[in-house]
Amino acid sequence: MKQKKLIALLLALVMLLSLAACGGGSSSSGSGDAAPAGDTASTDAAAPADAAPADTASAGGALTINIWDANQQAGIQEICDDWTAESGIPVKVEVIDWDNYWTLLESGASGGTLPDVFWMHSDYAQIYMENDILLDLTQYIANDGVDMGIYYPDIAAIYTRSDGNIYALPKDHDTIALLYNKALFDEAGVAYPTDDWTYEDMYEAAKAITEATPDGTYGYALNTSNDQDGWYNYIYSYGGNVVNKEKTDTAIDGPEAKAAMEMVRKMLTCAVPQSVVAESGTDSLFQSGKVAMITQGSWMINNFYTAENSADYAWAMIPYADVNGDGQCQPEERSTQYNGLGWAAAANTSNPDGAWSLIKYLCSEEAQKKQAALGVTMAGIPGISEEFANAFAGMDVSAFIKVETEGTLEARPGTRNSGVWQTPMKSTEGFQPAFADPSNPELMSTACDNVAAMIRNAIAEGN
Amino acid sequence: MKKSKMTAAAKNEAIWAWAFILPTMLGLIILNFYPVFNTIYQSFCKTGDFGKGNTFVGVANYQKAFATPETLQALWNTVKYALIEVPFGVIIALVLAVFLNKKLKGTSAYRTIFFLPMVCAPAAVAMVWKWLYNQQFGLFNNVFHTNIGWTSDPKIAWISVGIIGVWSIIGYNMVLFISGLQEIPFDYYEAAMIDGATGIRQFFHITVPLLSPTTFFIVQTRVIGALTVFDLMFMVIDKTSGALPNVQSIVYVFYKYAFDQGNKGYGAAIVMILVVFIMIVTVIMQRAEKKLVFYN
Repeated sequence: MKQKKLIALLLALVMLLSLAACGGGSSSSGSGDAAPAGDTASTDAAAPADAAPADTASAGGALTINIWDANQQAGIQEICDDWTAESGIPVKVEVIDWDNYWTLLESGASGGTLPDVFWMHSDYAQIYMENDILLDLTQYIANDGVDMGIYYPDIAAIYTRSDGNIYALPKDHDTIALLYNKALFDEAGVAYPTDDWTYEDMYEAAKAITEATPDGTYGYALNTSNDQDGWYNYIYSYGGNVVNKEKTDTAIDGPEAKAAMEMVRKMLTCAVPQSVVAESGTDSLFQSGKVAMITQGSWMINNFYTAENSADYAWAMIPYADVNGDGQCQPEERSTQYNGLGWAAAANTSNPDGAWSLIKYLCSEEAQKKQAALGVTMAGIPGISEEFANAFAGMDVSAFIKVETEGTLEARPGTRNSGVWQTPMKSTEGFQPAFADPSNPELMSTACDNVAAMIRNAIAEGN
Repeated sequence: MKKSKMTAAAKNEAIWAWAFILPTMLGLIILNFYPVFNTIYQSFCKTGDFGKGNTFVGVANYQKAFATPETLQALWNTVKYALIEVPFGVIIALVLAVFLNKKLKGTSAYRTIFFLPMVCAPAAVAMVWKWLYNQQFGLFNNVFHTNIGWTSDPKIAWISVGIIGVWSIIGYNMVLFISGLQEIPFDYYEAAMIDGATGIRQFFHITVPLLSPTTFFIVQTRVIGALTVFDLMFMVIDKTSGALPNVQSIVYVFYKYAFDQGNKGYGAAIVMILVVFIMIVTVIMQRAEKKLVFYN
């Protein structure tokens, strides 16, 4: 009897301990997110200074990297392996898709564990910087003499807080180009897109293809969610904006943006119906030969390069809007959205010096040249991405690089917490009804007004 | 203060009792009770970034939730989903269970097949159905030579989602029904057969009443399950779909605000509305139990 009791007691104890261990694990990392944030703020001024700066990454175990683009995983792992060869610290690159990435990162920031090093995006950077979730790199940059002037200024600015502290180094930049399916152009007997195309030219071609090909095949496809890679470019080419440079207002209900969205509406009259695009996505429709033209970003090239019918695919510069009607393209009439990710580290990483050393390497000219040469993405440093054009043998992707000199790069618009207006903007509260019924110009104009109100509301509420 | 004094043995027993329920208690307190009260508190707050820096705003979140047509529409969508999933999920499962409870060849194979959806991850199930329903490339439109927007037409998308729900839950309900059926003594059927009752009469006059406790249990748990549905809508209906406002469940709306837009306070208020709604439904069902359920 006694023995039974003893065993029972032991069992209960084991259960309790295991429970306490689970609880303890999560609570210590929970409270831990506040402490190291404060710690690093005060000590990182001192730490790199008295540790030998050449070999800062000696302490700590393996580093974990989180990214959201599976296309880039192999290339980034390869570049990280170069760094591992020097530092001796293993690096593991994990991919989590875009939506879940931000959910995971937020729960990590709210009291869980974050990956050591991860991507930051313009939509979220400000809110993460303001809450000290990211490792402050300012002192590291000063100590190691990293020149921030070599990066694209717009991209470096995304990751600089209003007080001047820097929380991420620019990883890359991307531009937009026009992707077309030569087979469908041939079938319809329409001439291929050229670098001199206006949006009107694109409309004429899309219309001709939609009419000349059987039902279910279209000249063009665009969804409300194709903002950066789609209709944002129309708005900026026509001289409008989605959020102004100071992030204080929007001109999406102004005459320029409305003229641009009217052009979008016109394109949609000969494009894939919105209900189909919402279900299948423009990329899948293009790859299954149902669509002759879409606009896409440089980060997606690999997706089409490795596709089954990639021999039929070609890129042209994004069309321009001949606003002044002189028949020529002024640089401001051909606008491409551009954006750049940043490499950031968690403020509570167990190995801040190692994380910094890795970020510094990833954002060095050497690593970014390799990144371009491997075809991962174009660099965050201007003028070193020529190799990127050669990374895809048999596919000419120079349109992405040419647009930088012959057009205008416009940074992707955003506010402090862009999700608040960006999600409804793409849904039935925003542009969806206008995209679903392009025969009605009134709907598009009303949608512009509705979205403008959303953005102004968000700005007024501090988002 | 002289309540009934415990004997040493009783005291000993009480200590042991506590020792044994302590792990469960701790788990419940840390993982359930604390979040519940935190959610109630947050629903009265305007939450800051990453859930920090809450400022008390009273019932403002609730006012906003009831003033937005989206909330009530989502609640109605959820009820519509439950109205498909629960009755059809129960009736089909009951009929299947009656057949599979007979001594036939291969019953265990059939049971396994019907139970399979339960073993699959709901997200994977939704993913497969999403492509079956696809207007351009989906199996249904290609086999039937139709051009129906199963998940994009606002008028029928909610039915399409409901069908997935029914398909996923039949196996689980069926297994519960089979165990209920096996507890009905065979004597009743034997007596009925001697009296000349047909199989259908036996089903309605013996099986259905004697199975009512099991049926009630299934209905009650499935109603709660259906009212908290999220993954089907999230996986099957795209954010840019015109059908979304007519399909999104209340938990979907909660997710949209709490996680997509980082507005935890408003999300908490939405979830509290759902909790109160489920409580009301449960009370009504408990009342109905006394009238409809037949206990031996």
